[in-house]
Amino acid sequence: TLRLICTTTAAQRKNVGASGPEKYTEAFIKKQIEEFNLGKRHLANMMGEDPETFTQEDIDRAIAYLFPSGLFDKQARPMMKHPTEVFPEQRKVQWGEDGRPFHFLFYTGKQSYYSLMHETYEKLLNVQKHQDQMIAQDLPLQKEKRNLAGSRWLTKIELEEMLLEKVSDDDYSRFIQLLEKLVALPCADIEEKYIQKFSKEVPVQLQKVVIEPLQYDERGVAFSTGEGKRKTARATAVVYDNGTGKVTVNGIDVLHYFPVLQDREQLLFPFQFLGRIGKHDMVCTVSGGGRSAQAGAIRLASARALSSFVTEKEVEFMRQAGLLTVDPRVKERKKPGQEGPRRKFTWKKR
Amino acid sequence: RIMPVRWSRYNPSYLEPEVKKESYQKPLEELTEEEREQMELKAVRPIKAAPPTLSSSAFSDPMISKFTNMMMKNGNKVLARSLMSQTLETIKRKQLEKYHKAPENEKETIECNPYVIFHQALKNCQPIIGLSNITRGGKTYQVPVPLTDNRKRFLAMKWLITECRENKHRRTMMPEKLSQELLLAFNNEGPVIKRKHVLHKMAEANRAYAHFRWW
Repeated sequence: TLRLICTTTAAQRKNVGASGPEKYTEAFIKKQIEEFNLGKRHLANMMGEDPETFTQEDIDRAIAYLFPSGLFDKQARPMMKHPTEVFPEQRKVQWGEDGRPFHFLFYTGKQSYYSLMHETYEKLLNVQKHQDQMIAQDLPLQKEKRNLAGSRWLTKIELEEMLLEKVSDDDYSRFIQLLEKLVALPCADIEEKYIQKFSKEVPVQLQKVVIEPLQYDERGVAFSTGEGKRKTARATAVVYDNGTGKVTVNGIDVLHYFPVLQDREQLLFPFQFLGRIGKHDMVCTVSGGGRSAQAGAIRLASARALSSFVTEKEVEFMRQAGLLTVDPRVKERKKPGQEGPRRKFTWKKR
Repeated sequence: RIMPVRWSRYNPSYLEPEVKKESYQKPLEELTEEEREQMELKAVRPIKAAPPTLSSSAFSDPMISKFTNMMMKNGNKVLARSLMSQTLETIKRKQLEKYHKAPENEKETIECNPYVIFHQALKNCQPIIGLSNITRGGKTYQVPVPLTDNRKRFLAMKWLITECRENKHRRTMMPEKLSQELLLAFNNEGPVIKRKHVLHKMAEANRAYAHFRWW
């Protein structure tokens, strides 16, 4: 008898259907949580700290100390997190023992999305009914406008997390349109609680701008420093009060350092905007970049320095004029197979 | 470094900066509904950095900067800017010469501000209607088509620059020739205005094909 040593792949393949992503049972997740808590207490003991008050930050520090890793990607290093953060939330089984699904919209494929749309439409009809009642009783309709600028709708990813199923771009835009329609009606205040589930607060941008306090030097003159950058140029500017408008760059007078009018205009831009041209002196140091990049860096540095001399409203005006944002535009890299960042090689027919 | 290709370095939620000082000094009552909403939106969204060509001083003009950029060759902005300033200076000198030679009653009609002359000349050069090539059944027709504001401004500036670069004596400098062209355009004369009229006549002649346009 001959022994078959090498078989074809068709004979080796077993009859297993394709399974989706791994499903985690509830018992499995519970076990993981218990193991995590035990492991946390062991770790606290090892580090000599109190097991009761051992926070997640302490865990991260301990793991980084015990298992130092030189890997670049933070996600690739060893980490110990709570199982709810490690294992993504999954839906429980949607059908009972007899195979019959629980939800009436199961066979649409996107049951949570369609049930959400149904609920929202129900609220819309409620509001319209209420509106008709108010008109029938001749009562005035409330017309208070919601502050649109202070809040935003949930993003597509946040909605996916909420519904635990994939939402396509089209579906998401339809949902947002329905919400906007609901909000646009005058008596939408009734459903305010429901709407708040899908909106998030946006903080006012001004709070992100850090304003340094004024410093005083030996002679009692107020001054403040600012740093700025543009492309590869880095600049630091020191703006003195009670000055005549003299500007010194790297120890050289501004007329000699920047012979081009455009650069000098850029240096004066923050002062001219605030109307304080002859009132301040400036001493700056700048390195790197080219002529225009250095001018832009000094402009940002001086704008930041001036924001400590000025009221908050004027700082907001400077921000809206684009003086306080770092310009993110840098030289684009050259790609392989092309002559430059965008230019392709000459096309030759043969 | 992660380099986004095919889109700008800014997040799409960034808004354009507003440089003019006057718009920030308006009191709250004078604003319309839309402007109030714009203000609230600006308070919440981040704003792009102002480009180096833009400034709040009285001397920076967006039209002049656009024109200087179009005149620039190989990125030599210094040269283009100096040519532009020399042009404006020559316009002022010529107008002042005319002003001092003119009799008393005509002195008020002569315009001396070079910026006003530049803007008016560009406006006079802008075509109202343009031609576009549409291919139907193998043959390409020139169909009269309305132009957007940007396209009109671009065409006017392009015609001026090509006119100055080509139709001149070898020894004339660019500022001199440009100032000549601008003054002629200001008075609705000159080769650029002629080109605009030729385009209008072609559009009028091809009026029959206007129904080929589907947008």
